[in-house]
Amino acid sequence: MKIIEFKNVSKQFGTFFANQDLSFSVESGTIHGLIGENGAGKSTAMKVLFGIYPLDGGEILISEKPSLIKNPIHAMSLGIGMVHQHFMLAETETVLDNIILGHEPTSFFGIINREVAQKELQKISESYGLHFSKWNEPVSRLSVGEQQRVEIIKLLYQKSEVLILDEPTAVLIPQEVKELFTNLRRLKDEGKTIILISHKLKEVLEYTDAVTVMRRGKVVGTKVTRDTNEDELAEMMVGRKVSFTYQGERKILASQVKPKSVLQVKNLSTVKTNEPLKDISFELNPGEILGIAGVQGNGQSELLRFLSHPSSMASKANGEYYIQGRSVSHASPLELRNKGVGLVPEDRISEGLLLQQDMTENFILGQQEDPRYISRGFINRKAVTAQVQNKIKEFDIRPPYTTVWAGKMSGGNQQKLLMARALDPDPSILFVAHPTRGVDVGAIEKIHDAIMQERNKGKAVMLFSSELDELMDLSDRILVFFDGKIQAEFSRREFDSWDIGRTMGGGDKAAGGEQ
Amino acid sequence: MKAITMNASMRALVKSILGAMLGLFLGLMICWFTGESPIKILKILFQSAFGSGYDFGMTLFYTAPLLLTGLAVAIPFKSGLFNIGAEGQLTMGALAASAVAVVAPNVQSPVLAIALAVVFAFVGGGIWGAIPGFLKAKRGSHEVITTIMLNFIAAGVSAYFTLYVLKDPNSAQAETLLLPSVYHLKAFECFNGAPMGPLIFWLLALVVFLYFWMWHSVWGYELKAVGENEKAAGVYGISKQKIWMSSMFLAGGVAGLVGIIEVLGNSHRFKIGFSADYGFVGIAVALVARGNILGIIPSALLFGILQKGAGSLDLETDKVTRDLSYIIQGLIILGVAAEGLWTRKRK
Repeated sequence: MKIIEFKNVSKQFGTFFANQDLSFSVESGTIHGLIGENGAGKSTAMKVLFGIYPLDGGEILISEKPSLIKNPIHAMSLGIGMVHQHFMLAETETVLDNIILGHEPTSFFGIINREVAQKELQKISESYGLHFSKWNEPVSRLSVGEQQRVEIIKLLYQKSEVLILDEPTAVLIPQEVKELFTNLRRLKDEGKTIILISHKLKEVLEYTDAVTVMRRGKVVGTKVTRDTNEDELAEMMVGRKVSFTYQGERKILASQVKPKSVLQVKNLSTVKTNEPLKDISFELNPGEILGIAGVQGNGQSELLRFLSHPSSMASKANGEYYIQGRSVSHASPLELRNKGVGLVPEDRISEGLLLQQDMTENFILGQQEDPRYISRGFINRKAVTAQVQNKIKEFDIRPPYTTVWAGKMSGGNQQKLLMARALDPDPSILFVAHPTRGVDVGAIEKIHDAIMQERNKGKAVMLFSSELDELMDLSDRILVFFDGKIQAEFSRREFDSWDIGRTMGGGDKAAGGEQ
Repeated sequence: MKAITMNASMRALVKSILGAMLGLFLGLMICWFTGESPIKILKILFQSAFGSGYDFGMTLFYTAPLLLTGLAVAIPFKSGLFNIGAEGQLTMGALAASAVAVVAPNVQSPVLAIALAVVFAFVGGGIWGAIPGFLKAKRGSHEVITTIMLNFIAAGVSAYFTLYVLKDPNSAQAETLLLPSVYHLKAFECFNGAPMGPLIFWLLALVVFLYFWMWHSVWGYELKAVGENEKAAGVYGISKQKIWMSSMFLAGGVAGLVGIIEVLGNSHRFKIGFSADYGFVGIAVALVARGNILGIIPSALLFGILQKGAGSLDLETDKVTRDLSYIIQGLIILGVAAEGLWTRKRK
């Protein structure tokens, strides 16, 4: 049975069609993927379905009956629930209170009967195999994955039949992703329908039954998942052929034959024993990309913080750190920048950007004292703007206006802006962290090209990533972090996802390193 | 491309003006309900503000401190701090300005004397502002709490100094010794005794200078970066601690300059309770200006007019009192704060 059907649905913002003539249907009891690049209109379509936006044309059928969804409360009463990308939870309140909000079971005089509620929640959790019992903890104490489970339980408590999940894996670590999909499959087995908004092709291919592809506000097509593949979906999404591996050249440089390292770390350990980083030593050579692999939380973040801002770790870590032979163990970011270090931080939103400032203002963050952008003691915004205009062309940043707020740009373009900023002073050493997390397929190519170009110019690059494919595609060498230690080192000819994966889980590298 | 930014700030300006007009309109409706003609009230307010040289001078005298306290709130706000302590900062600034004569009673040059007093007032207020900045930076103490507490402490400290250290023995009032005439500021003749002179131009110049400084200096940029995203600022090596301390010192110092208007320009001594809540009205001034430094000028003038008009409402009407002026001030703040009224339709 078609539980949801869109018939020629349109949604306009001003003169802009966010959704134009959408027609597709979702079968009951399936996991249905909805994919497309950022701005393709996926979220808008689902917000129309959930009653957040009124539709401007066409109609939506629920259980094959035309339904005019007035607002989210109405949508919920029709059995439709949505987990937003940014959770809608009151952090200081308990899990229980968050879940029952709006549907509180009451006893006499309207007093909330939390016991009844808890029993019911326990029942839901058990019958769907969700293994959750922290009902009385405040939400702020839960991990992101647990918070997401709370959101799902909330929908089940509200008796939703259709669960819409907006980019549910964007915030999760790999183990949590696996757990999420195990849970979603169980929900499917119990007869629920799940709509998964995503732009990660791999997970869509692995876990959905059918997939609808959107591009520029229109439906490109709907495919049965087992009859399609990554290349086909990517082409439908982007509108042209996309390569997932780096196609450009990988130069062999003289510096690689006879390496003379530009950066050394010796015996780096964090002070507190319960924190990561134990006796880390490594060197970085010009003309190489050194990949840092590992499951999140095994010390990579702390290493990056130390490398990019040693002075902030002065009381927390011991160890020696040299750049071009000079000690920088207590240097500030500015001193490192002057020594030729560029940084693309881990989280572009919280660590990289001023969301309510335009591109120009973002571009000078960290280089506000660069002599190129100072005249007579003041910031020369004309010079900055001119440079940003160059970078917009060079990196194909969109929209191509210097006055656009960083917060209004898509993830891929934000990331391009960060790359452009890091490369602006022409650094000889580049730290890049998670450059393609949550980024469109099209933009990934651009960013990878930019990183490889730097390497081919003889720059030393450290690439931190949780995507093993990305690391194996770009790196010349990979260090695997586990429990704060370097668990293994792989050179390019030894790359093997199974072997690297095992060391990421704490296993040993296969003997001899050659298979 | 330029047009987009112009639009954003123009829109903010229009919102503020609409909000202020809505508040004024509602306030006038209230007096209409009490049986007074709104037109008459408007006329009284206008007459009282601009009716004569003296009236205009007094309006400027009320406006001037609000320029400073508006700045004292708006500047730290850009770095993410809410300074409720301008009242205490201006008290300490004024106390320091009145103490200058004790420290340097024999200054001959008026320029030197006034420069000295300005430094005293600025540093006095600045230290009082820097304390919460320091506590925030080193201990993470919330600046709203510490600035409020420091307001009370400033009141206590200034009372102690006024009554026991700097007390004028010939006065029955709680006030300090009269400053020597070399410290007195001149007022314009055309104001017929209203205590405001060339100082107002210096203050306007200060606002314009700070506007320029906040936008073009590296410090201003770093301040904005910390206010916008302190974590990102930290990753790129901007110390939020330094920014918080320096922005609060500057804010306190600017608030302290109210002491120049009062002590050097008006009473020539420190009087307990001289401030008509300038520090708190400054919050409203900054709010109506929407954090725009130049917007503080019209915003402070608006509140100055209403403060000046308050007394006339008492005298010249039968049915409303000075409280109407405060009601209108409150409604204007509400009107400007009710941003949702203007933005909802756009989404």
